[in-house]
Amino acid sequence: MAPLGRAALLLAFGLVLYALVAGSYAAWKRRRRLALSAQNALLAAFPVTLVAVVVLVVALGRRDMTFVYVWQHTSHKLPLGYALSAFWGGQEGSLLLWLLVLTGYAGLAVWLNRRSRELVAWTVPVFGLVGVFFAFMLCFVSSPFNVQPPRADGNGMVPSLQNPYMLAHPPLLYLGYVGLTVPFAFAMGALLSGRTDERWIVATRRWTLAAWTFLGVGQLIGAHWAYVEIGWGGYYAWDPVENAALMPWLAATAFLHSVMIQEKRGMLKVWNMILVALAFNLSLFGTFLTRSGVIDSIHSFSKSSIGGWFLAFLVLMVVLSAALIRWRLPLLRTKTKLESLVSREATFLYNNLLLVALCLTILWGVLYPILSDAVRGETRSVSKPYYDFFLHTFGLPLLVLMGIGPLVAWRRASLRSLGKTFVIPFAVAVVSGVVLLALGFGSSWPGLLTYTFSAFVAASIVLEFVRGRAAAGGIVRLISRNRRRYGGYVVHAAVVLLAIGIAGSSAYQTQREQILRPGQSIEAAGYTFTYTGLNGVKGSDYAGYRALLAVSGHGERFRLDPGQNNYFIEGPANEASIYHDPRSIGDVFTTAAIAGKHTKNIDLKVFVKPLVNLIWVAGFVFVLGALIAMWPDAVEQRRLAARYAAGAAPAGI
Amino acid sequence: MIALSVAAALAIFVVYTALAGNGVADLTPSTLAGHTGDVSLVGTVVGKPHGNSYSAGMRFLLKDVRSKAATRVPVVYRGTVPDQFKTGADLVVEGTLRNGVFVAKRGSMITKCPDHYAPAKSSKT
Amino acid sequence: MEWALAVAAMLAVVVVVFVARPFLRDPTPVSDRLDELAPEARERLALAEERDRALAALKELEFDHRTGKVSDEDYRAQVGPLRRRAAEVLRALDSGEQAHHERVPDPGQRVP
Repeated sequence: MAPLGRAALLLAFGLVLYALVAGSYAAWKRRRRLALSAQNALLAAFPVTLVAVVVLVVALGRRDMTFVYVWQHTSHKLPLGYALSAFWGGQEGSLLLWLLVLTGYAGLAVWLNRRSRELVAWTVPVFGLVGVFFAFMLCFVSSPFNVQPPRADGNGMVPSLQNPYMLAHPPLLYLGYVGLTVPFAFAMGALLSGRTDERWIVATRRWTLAAWTFLGVGQLIGAHWAYVEIGWGGYYAWDPVENAALMPWLAATAFLHSVMIQEKRGMLKVWNMILVALAFNLSLFGTFLTRSGVIDSIHSFSKSSIGGWFLAFLVLMVVLSAALIRWRLPLLRTKTKLESLVSREATFLYNNLLLVALCLTILWGVLYPILSDAVRGETRSVSKPYYDFFLHTFGLPLLVLMGIGPLVAWRRASLRSLGKTFVIPFAVAVVSGVVLLALGFGSSWPGLLTYTFSAFVAASIVLEFVRGRAAAGGIVRLISRNRRRYGGYVVHAAVVLLAIGIAGSSAYQTQREQILRPGQSIEAAGYTFTYTGLNGVKGSDYAGYRALLAVSGHGERFRLDPGQNNYFIEGPANEASIYHDPRSIGDVFTTAAIAGKHTKNIDLKVFVKPLVNLIWVAGFVFVLGALIAMWPDAVEQRRLAARYAAGAAPAGI
Repeated sequence: MIALSVAAALAIFVVYTALAGNGVADLTPSTLAGHTGDVSLVGTVVGKPHGNSYSAGMRFLLKDVRSKAATRVPVVYRGTVPDQFKTGADLVVEGTLRNGVFVAKRGSMITKCPDHYAPAKSSKT
Repeated sequence: MEWALAVAAMLAVVVVVFVARPFLRDPTPVSDRLDELAPEARERLALAEERDRALAALKELEFDHRTGKVSDEDYRAQVGPLRRRAAEVLRALDSGEQAHHERVPDPGQRVP
């Protein structure tokens, strides 16, 4: 079986290499049949990679311990679902997943746009180049098909990963990361072919939106998993592994906005090229931060074999993107200038600057340990206050801009019209601010500002819907005729919910820790927690305990049972116990550990986190908004098809 | 205009990191000697840990991760002990070196990620 | 393991045939040249995009005016230039099309 997998991968490598080499030659020398042939090679790469994937998945399902990979990441007792998910659990498997998604997306994107022959002729080799790297790694550096004499049982899967969220989180993230390759490839294809029109944008618009959505949802799921499984009381720790996904997402957010400016005004062509390259390269960087020892930080002690290769490929892609943009700079420059600093274009620009600034500060924080080691010989790292400072500095203005942008007209807005449209949201914000201050929320100024700005944005979004409905004659008509705009507003609403949830659960959180004897109580934020006793628990592969808590307060009574599971193979795992409080849309979050040996005392930690569940609700609203924005519009498709009829119709999904 | 704003943003955070005391130093047992004040100590647990982190403190020895250096630093730790803690585990603790013993800040221990893409299992917020 | 090798071999054959297909189907083509847009076609494309931009801007101005985001005087100030711009582009497109049709009469091609 393993030889079949290896053979399939070699075949895939050959195909993408051909797509790269033959494709480049064909595009350069304008050979039609060769270009088609290269395109076919790229298309064929997906089913071939799929064969390799099937081989691995079957081996995982059968717990075939002759596969080193299966032995490393599964065990016979592991439930089937989790055993299959080990496909992306290890380094080799995750490389294979990257290649699978890449060839799948590339094939589909190229095939849908096959009539734009000139553009696609150059896009194929770009996809080929990225594919060559991953296929090369899989064939020659880090193969999932290494075999060994069969062993009795495998190493198993870390219990904290045996969780439905962990089934969804990596594939969603990969669908996002790899998805950003599509706009990148088409953008570079456009540059290579010397085309300055917007076909590449039109062709990749929904791809970018979809990738961005997957990346966003994947991160939220990851945060939720960290919150309930790891159980330190939070959901985001500014760990390099988390930042790895946030950075490309921020760049992609900036890109989604600035692309609209190019579409409406024909400006910012160079900036858009830079952004799409930035998003893609950060995506590559992100995959590697997570999987290898590219950053030898506190959070990844082991340097893996592929770090060096990765870095080399990343440098290559950065250099190539920069060189391509520099080469085509004269073609991209336009004469259109910003007409006014008070216009929607301008707010989009400010938004872009803030997003990119935030992205770069996070990048700086991630790279700091390496840089300080190189410069001072001593590894230093930045900590939470650094990230918090910049999150506030850039995030709060971003929040405000979300409310301002929709209210401002394109090209220029006179201060008088601004005044009129701003009055209501501004008043809502001021009133909310004053009320919150009176209620004591001034204890945290970032929290207060977040709430106040959120009120501003929420009011402006509601107004948009109200005014728009009146003008269009009905909400459904309004949304269906302006899908991107109103889908965007729904996404903004999701961000507002996210901001409120984050502010509530961090700025206004109550935290207590104490060692309790049986019968003792502790008080936090109006709740009383009484430790009544210890219970043993048992499962098929673990034994553990739960600390029983009787909780009362704010007119509610409930029970919680935080504790620990001790897995026979994998070791101990913290089990937090969470109560979802409808009163505060928040959580009462508890963890407990036995305080020492031969004792019934527990070390109890309690977090009362108001509004934290808004964060997860925001995820659903986010997806809804993205779906509305992505929804195909037959009228628009026909118009675009007609526009490009001379060459061919771009067929973005 | 874009370039100016980006430059301004860059300037802000370079200045901030310069002023904010350049983050916390990550030291290993072999480089710890002589450092006073709050530092982060990174190392691998050797030998058996003694004591109770919830009463008088848990004591264990740390050596350099993945290195043959002979330095062993005794650590005394109070607070929640993360799940992955055991002999041979890699971890980070914050604290201060006092009279040859590294006194860890309460609850500041972080053990190595159980898998490549999990954030560090931490006992602190 | 023989069957695995057989599968691999079959896969390889199918794939190679698929990759070679453009050459197999068309061994002696009339033209092997990859289509590309002639400069005049590129210009028309740029004009078409300009036209769409101008028309969309007008539509959006109307909508913003109706929803009260753009005041009456702002609307009056902006709608004129926008309409003129759109008319300009439409004229340029038309004349370009005429010229194109005169040079290359192609009954099969309908350019909107």
